[in-house]
Amino acid sequence: MIAGPRWARWLLAGFGSAVLVFLCLPIVIVVPMSFSSASSLEFPPPGFSLRWYEAFFGDRRWLQAATTSISLAALASTLALLLGSIAAYGLVRGRFRGRPLVELNFMAPLILPQIITGVALYIFFARIGLLGSFAGLVIGHTVLAVPYTILVMTVAIRAFDPDIERAAMSLGAPWPLMARRVLLPNLLPSAVAAWIFAFIISFDEVIVTIFLAGAHETIPKRMFNELVLQVNPTITAIATLLIGVSILTVWAVAVLIRRAGLLGRVLR
Amino acid sequence: MSRIKLVSGPSGIRFVMPLGLAMLVAFNIPVVLMLAWGFSSPAGALAPWADMIERTVYLRVLANTFRIALICTLVCAVLGYPLAYWLCCLQGRARMIALALVVLPFWVSILVRTYAWIVVLGNNGVVNRSLLELGLITEPLALIYNELGVVIGTTNVLLPFLVLPLFAAMLGIDRRVLQAASGLGAPPGTVFWRVFFPLTLPGLAAGCILVFILTLGFFITPAILGGGRVSMIANMIDLLINRMPRWELAAALSTVLLLATFVCYAFYLKLSKRGAA
Repeated sequence: MIAGPRWARWLLAGFGSAVLVFLCLPIVIVVPMSFSSASSLEFPPPGFSLRWYEAFFGDRRWLQAATTSISLAALASTLALLLGSIAAYGLVRGRFRGRPLVELNFMAPLILPQIITGVALYIFFARIGLLGSFAGLVIGHTVLAVPYTILVMTVAIRAFDPDIERAAMSLGAPWPLMARRVLLPNLLPSAVAAWIFAFIISFDEVIVTIFLAGAHETIPKRMFNELVLQVNPTITAIATLLIGVSILTVWAVAVLIRRAGLLGRVLR
Repeated sequence: MSRIKLVSGPSGIRFVMPLGLAMLVAFNIPVVLMLAWGFSSPAGALAPWADMIERTVYLRVLANTFRIALICTLVCAVLGYPLAYWLCCLQGRARMIALALVVLPFWVSILVRTYAWIVVLGNNGVVNRSLLELGLITEPLALIYNELGVVIGTTNVLLPFLVLPLFAAMLGIDRRVLQAASGLGAPPGTVFWRVFFPLTLPGLAAGCILVFILTLGFFITPAILGGGRVSMIANMIDLLINRMPRWELAAALSTVLLLATFVCYAFYLKLSKRGAA
């Protein structure tokens, strides 16, 4: 960039690294804490133990919450992916009036503070009797996940050359056959990435869940309620498990995106 | 041009329809109902609004929220601008690693990141105990469960939202402009402040507005690190729905938050469009 004096470059590197440390500090701290033998928040931990993992896996309520979280996230992200991909195709390939407005509407749950979506759905579900139901939770989480599937899938479809679709159709394939044999295989890596994205969004969701869940407990909802009341080191074990899963997922998404990019280049 | 049209005219809408209808029922109608609820109090349509203005507590919470959002935005800008610039200076593998460290927290639950600050900054936390052992303080500093804690936690969560777009904007600047300036004899400081910095302003402003919007509606971090003392709009709305049952007032406050978000987002769109052009 701009060739400044040596001291300025050192200052910049020092400041930049310090900010990076600030960003990653929470993640670096939580992992060793989860293996601590102390029940207070001592850092560095006085000894090694797996007691907080035992506390998590030995507690039926935490495991129940995990089951709820996983099934909720799986359902909501699948719904969001199905509806979102079809809509993304229409948004990219279609030409109709009010298209930017429709797209903005699909992105709105991402732009609006989640508390607003939470309050709106709370009042609505209370009136139609869905408040506290699992179906209501699935609907709420799907609404929040839709922007992410739209975001990923519109990019993927825009990058896919429409001439390839035309070629298939000019050779006599009707649209559904073309979609199944040409479009789907090519969009699959992006679709998986979008699904994982949506899954994580739903799995981590706290605010809308607190409003809609009633008696249902998800992992983040229980974590939040415990954190507001007291400090319970079991949370560090869950946090470490979540960080591990997140890093694995990021890696999976990166691989998928690279494969999608490669495919795109090969076809072009 | 090809003879075969993939989708055109009304058939494009056909694809958008399923999600459009789902969003209408599960999002648009609920939001409109919520807006209407703010005007449907049995005590008169404007009663919750009058309440909101007369009882100073709500206005105080609003002012507090905007003030905290402004502080967090400034801190993010001060920390994020040099980091984004440094990322631009780095090359190859070092840049990849630094970028990965910026993106990594995105993937870790906000709850986890907020919890860690209790470990670091609490009365028994790393910072306070080190300071006590060094004899620099005699009793623990109150670093969390107050406004400072909220600002630290929020800044930590939202910093990547400023750094990433700003980094992209900086990469997009034509290096030849900088070379031209220094080739014409401008010292490095002048090149930075008179050429580079003004070119990054739209990107910086867009990132700042993004952070501001996100802080306005922040709920989790203030609830955990605020210790119930710092109330922001979102926490107030939660209280009004889940504890007090005063839905009409919650709806009115949500309307204010919705409007503020819309206005900021319009600015954001305008700025990011100018930054792209």
